[in-house]
Amino acid sequence: MSFGSLGRLKSALGAGIVRPGRLWEERPLRRHYDVVIIGGGIHGLATAWYLAKDHGVRDIAVLESQYIGFGGSGRNTAIVRANQRTQENVPLYDEGLKLWPILTDELDFNLMFYNCGNLNLAHSEAAVAASRLAINTAGFCGVRSELLDPHQCGELIPALDISDRPAFPILGGMYHPPGGVVRHDAVVWGLARGAGLHGAAIHQGVDVQGIDVESGRITGVRTSAGPIGCRKLGIMAGGYGPAIAAMLDIELPVNPLTIQAMVTQPLKPFLHHVVSSGEYHIYANQTLKGEIATGAHMDPQVNYTTDVTARYFKHQAEALTDLMPCLKGVRFLRVWAGLADMTPDMAPILDGNFAHEGLYLDVGWGYFGFKSGPVAGKYMAEFMAREEAPEILKPFALRRFLENRYMGETATTMKYGQWD
Amino acid sequence: MGCDAVTFRLTCPVCGKRDIREFTYGGPERGSRPAEADPGSESEAAAEADPAAGAEAHFRWAQFRMNRPEPQEEWWHHGAGCGVWFSTWRDPATNREAPPGAEASEHEAGGGDSS
Repeated sequence: MSFGSLGRLKSALGAGIVRPGRLWEERPLRRHYDVVIIGGGIHGLATAWYLAKDHGVRDIAVLESQYIGFGGSGRNTAIVRANQRTQENVPLYDEGLKLWPILTDELDFNLMFYNCGNLNLAHSEAAVAASRLAINTAGFCGVRSELLDPHQCGELIPALDISDRPAFPILGGMYHPPGGVVRHDAVVWGLARGAGLHGAAIHQGVDVQGIDVESGRITGVRTSAGPIGCRKLGIMAGGYGPAIAAMLDIELPVNPLTIQAMVTQPLKPFLHHVVSSGEYHIYANQTLKGEIATGAHMDPQVNYTTDVTARYFKHQAEALTDLMPCLKGVRFLRVWAGLADMTPDMAPILDGNFAHEGLYLDVGWGYFGFKSGPVAGKYMAEFMAREEAPEILKPFALRRFLENRYMGETATTMKYGQWD
Repeated sequence: MGCDAVTFRLTCPVCGKRDIREFTYGGPERGSRPAEADPGSESEAAAEADPAAGAEAHFRWAQFRMNRPEPQEEWWHHGAGCGVWFSTWRDPATNREAPPGAEASEHEAGGGDSS
């Protein structure tokens, strides 16, 4: 299964961005590894890094069909936060948020973590009430979040129009100080370098086309570079996960959907926090380059393309300028799309040894794949090394969908389109 | 990227090719809902013996999907048009209408610049 051409890898290699040998040692592709991880994004690379560093498992190959960070890892809007809704999810994201400075230190690589805080705007009494609920959940879990009135929202972000003029006037906001942004490419490169230093082999341009099982055990994968045997296999391919699980005839309650984002031309610094709005269906932050990075529209039909749509420019321009009128006349520079792997309860599936021995699955993160990458890798590494689910991951097993134990993440103030 | 990539039209059996914004996605065709046990039938006795199995079959039917990147039959609603529900074939790998078993089209999936 290929979702792109090798030409893209060659151009990335040509640009020197992901050339093996620069960040990690180039190793020959062997015919057998203890662990094979499908997907050279943040989740797969973090799992490799923690397997090697914390569990002494060094016989690892990370197989990436394009180049590292090609998928969701390089296509998100780099926002991190821990103000989710349920008591199973918040501790995971909270630990994930606290990992960024630790990882920067451990990887000896500047991940440019900027904990500028996130302001999620409420435009209705119902949204204010939902914010109160989320703030109390955060408090219960020891995470900082507070309710702001419109005046305080305006003090925090002077560019916001807090008058009655906008189509959806601002009634308040949930301010989450520990959140912020992280440079997503730096995370990919830092983890690849770290995993490589500990002995993991990273192979780009290797497309997995089939998975072999014998007597209920995973025995290896068939790839564009020939068969590769393994004892344990991790499917950590983000939005492409369902297509890879389908190679094993495994159905998942996961729908891969195309989600779009864009950046404006660079501007002088004026937006010092992440701002988001469920009603306008936007989130925005100003990058270190000065661009306003903003998302996100999601097409509702199952779709593995990263096509963008013209009508989304219009929506984004209208929404951004209604909230922050100073942006009128500013131009968009680029638009792109990635995949979001949506589950019915907006929570991921983290499971192992559930269909075949040696099969591990890390999929269904939807909007949350970037912010969760390192913490998911940390616990999936523990899962794969000890062959037993860590306590924190147990609620995320696939079986919950067969037992009517959906999580309540859809009850957040954020809106997830028709997937709410 | 051709101009083809920024819009997508679907063929309504009544109205013909229309912009995708007029339609609502209804998910892939997945057969009829698992049968519920008729009172007094053998299947009711089986359902009483193992109530979880029936529930599990229902949850699988309702939410579990194969989502292979190849043409699939799916349901669409022409809500902003004639109002008809219809099934058609589309390839999630290309996001275009495609007859069953068709070879992957020239349209290359996975494009677009990352930031």
